[in-house]
Amino acid sequence: MRGFFPVWKRELFSLFVTPLAWVVIVSFLVLQGLHFGFILLSHFANQGDMSSDQGPVQAFFGQTVFLYFPLVVFCPALTMRAFSEERQRGTIEALLTAPVSTAAVVVAKWAAAMVAYAAMWAPTLLYMVVIRKTGAIDWQVVGTGYLGIALVGASWLAIGTLASAMTQSVLLALVLGAGVTLSLFMIGVGEMILPEGALRDVCGYVSVWTQMDEMSRGIVDSRRVLFDLSLTALPLFVTTRVVDSWRWG
Amino acid sequence: MIEVAHLTKAYGQFYAVNDVSFSVARGEVVGFLGPNGAGKSTTLKILAGFLGMTSGQVTVGGHDVVEARDAARLQLGYMPEATPLYVEMRVREYLAYRAELKRVPARERRAKVAQAMEEARVSDVAELLIGKLSKGYRQRVGLADALVARPPILILDEPTAGLDPNQIREVRDLVRALGERHTILLSTHILSEVEATCRRAIVISKGRLVAEGPLDELRKRRRSTRARVVARGTEEAARRALEGLDAQERLTVEVSGAELTLSLRWKKTEEDTARALEEAVARLVGAGLGVREATPEKATLDEVFAALTEDAREPEGDAA
Repeated sequence: MRGFFPVWKRELFSLFVTPLAWVVIVSFLVLQGLHFGFILLSHFANQGDMSSDQGPVQAFFGQTVFLYFPLVVFCPALTMRAFSEERQRGTIEALLTAPVSTAAVVVAKWAAAMVAYAAMWAPTLLYMVVIRKTGAIDWQVVGTGYLGIALVGASWLAIGTLASAMTQSVLLALVLGAGVTLSLFMIGVGEMILPEGALRDVCGYVSVWTQMDEMSRGIVDSRRVLFDLSLTALPLFVTTRVVDSWRWG
Repeated sequence: MIEVAHLTKAYGQFYAVNDVSFSVARGEVVGFLGPNGAGKSTTLKILAGFLGMTSGQVTVGGHDVVEARDAARLQLGYMPEATPLYVEMRVREYLAYRAELKRVPARERRAKVAQAMEEARVSDVAELLIGKLSKGYRQRVGLADALVARPPILILDEPTAGLDPNQIREVRDLVRALGERHTILLSTHILSEVEATCRRAIVISKGRLVAEGPLDELRKRRRSTRARVVARGTEEAARRALEGLDAQERLTVEVSGAELTLSLRWKKTEEDTARALEEAVARLVGAGLGVREATPEKATLDEVFAALTEDAREPEGDAA
C-alpha cells in the first residue's frame, strides 16, 4: 500500500478545495433537514399510537426513500471525479509513474470519498441531540443506524469509484454510478412486490431498505454486514484491475 | 543507465514501437528524435512504467521496469507530454505532494521542494495556483516535479512543445544545466532542439530505430540541398556564369525588374554544399553580376527523416 497516505490527502484536498464536496454536503443536509422536520411533525402529531420501535430515529434511518434517493446521487457524485478526471486531464500518467501501488491509489481515492461521506452525515448527529431533548433515546440503536449508513456508504462509494474508472467522462461516471446503485435499490424493492418464493428471498437479501429498517431498530444481521463488505471489496478489487489494464490500452 | 532491448509495443496489427534497442550511458544527454506519431511518447511511457510492452526488455538504472517496478521508478524523474498538472493546487503544495509520493523523507521535503523550484526557476510562483500559470511556467513546474526527488535519470517528453521562443530558450538552458548532473533522455520532433541540448541522438520513425549516433552524423545529413541567390544582371549572363558548375543539379531563374532570383539545387552526392555556394557566388561576381543575397536552404526535417529512413538498412556508425 505504498503511496496511500499522500494520495488520500490530495484527494481530500481536492474534494474540499473545489466546491464539489460543499455542494454535495449542503444539498444533502437541506434534504435531510426537511426530512427530519417532517418526521418530527408527524411523530409528535401521532405520538399516542406510536409503538416504541417506530420512533423518530427509526423513521429517520429506516423507513423512508428520503434516505436512499439522495444517496443514489450523492455517493457517485463524491467519487465521480476519482479516476475519470485524472484520465481526462492526463494527470493519471504522473500519478501512476510514481512509485505507488495501484491498490493504494484505488483505496486512497475511495477512503477520501468516505471521509467526505462521513462529513456529510456528521451534522445529522445534532438531530439525535434534538430528539434527546424530547425524551429518551437509545444510543445503541442510533449506533447501529449509523453503522448501517456507513456500510451502505462504503459499498456505494466503492461502486462509484469503479464507475469513475470505467469512463473518462465525469458526467458518465456519475450516471453510471447512480444507475448501478439505483438498480441495486430497485432489486431490493422486489421483496415488497414479488410473490413468495426464491426470487423474493434473493431480493430480500440484497434489499438496502430492509437492511436499514433492521439496523434502525438495533438489529445487526452479520449476513447483511458481510454482504456490504463484499460489495465494498469487490468493486475496489475490480477497480485496481481496471487501472492496471490501462497499461495495456 | 537506460537499456532498451528489442522493445516492441503492438496494438493489434499496428506496431507503435517495433524492435527498438538503444542505451543511454551515465551522464549523457540524449535526444530522442522523430516525426509526430513515430512512437517517441510510447517508448518514453514504457520507460517510465506507464505503459506495458508487448515484448522486449527495459532496464532503468539497472532495474527492470516490469520486474522491479518501484526500484526503477525511483531512479527516474519523468515529465509526461504536455505536462498535465492538478490545476487546483498551488505550486509548492503540488511539489510537496509529489515529493511525498516519491518517498522523499518528511524532514528533507521542504528543502528539496525549494531546491527543485530554484532549479526549475518557479520559486516566484510558488504560492500561485497551477491553473493560473502560463504554459511556460507549467512546463517548468513539470520539470521541478521530475527533479524533486533528485533522481539520477530524467526522461522528458517534448519539454518545449507549445512554448514561445523565449520560453524555449529558457527550458533549453535549463536542460543543459541539468545535464551536468543528470542522465537525460528527451524527446522532440525539432531537430535544432537536439542540436542545442544534446550530444547524441536516437532517431525513430514509424516505430523503428532509423539512426543512432553523435550529432555530427545528423548535421551532415542536414547540409543544405538548395540555395537561393538574388543578383542584379541579366538572366543570360547568370546562366552563362553558372554553366558547368560541378555541384549544380538544376537552376531556375525568376526575373523581377532588374533583379534575378536564382534557385540552385545541389546534387545529392555533393558533400560540401557550403563550398559549392561559395563558388557559385564567386562566379556570378566574376561575371559582373551584383550579388545582393545568398541563402543556403537547409533540408527540412522531413527530408532528413526521409534520408535517414532511406538509409536505415545501411549499417550505422556506432556511437562512440
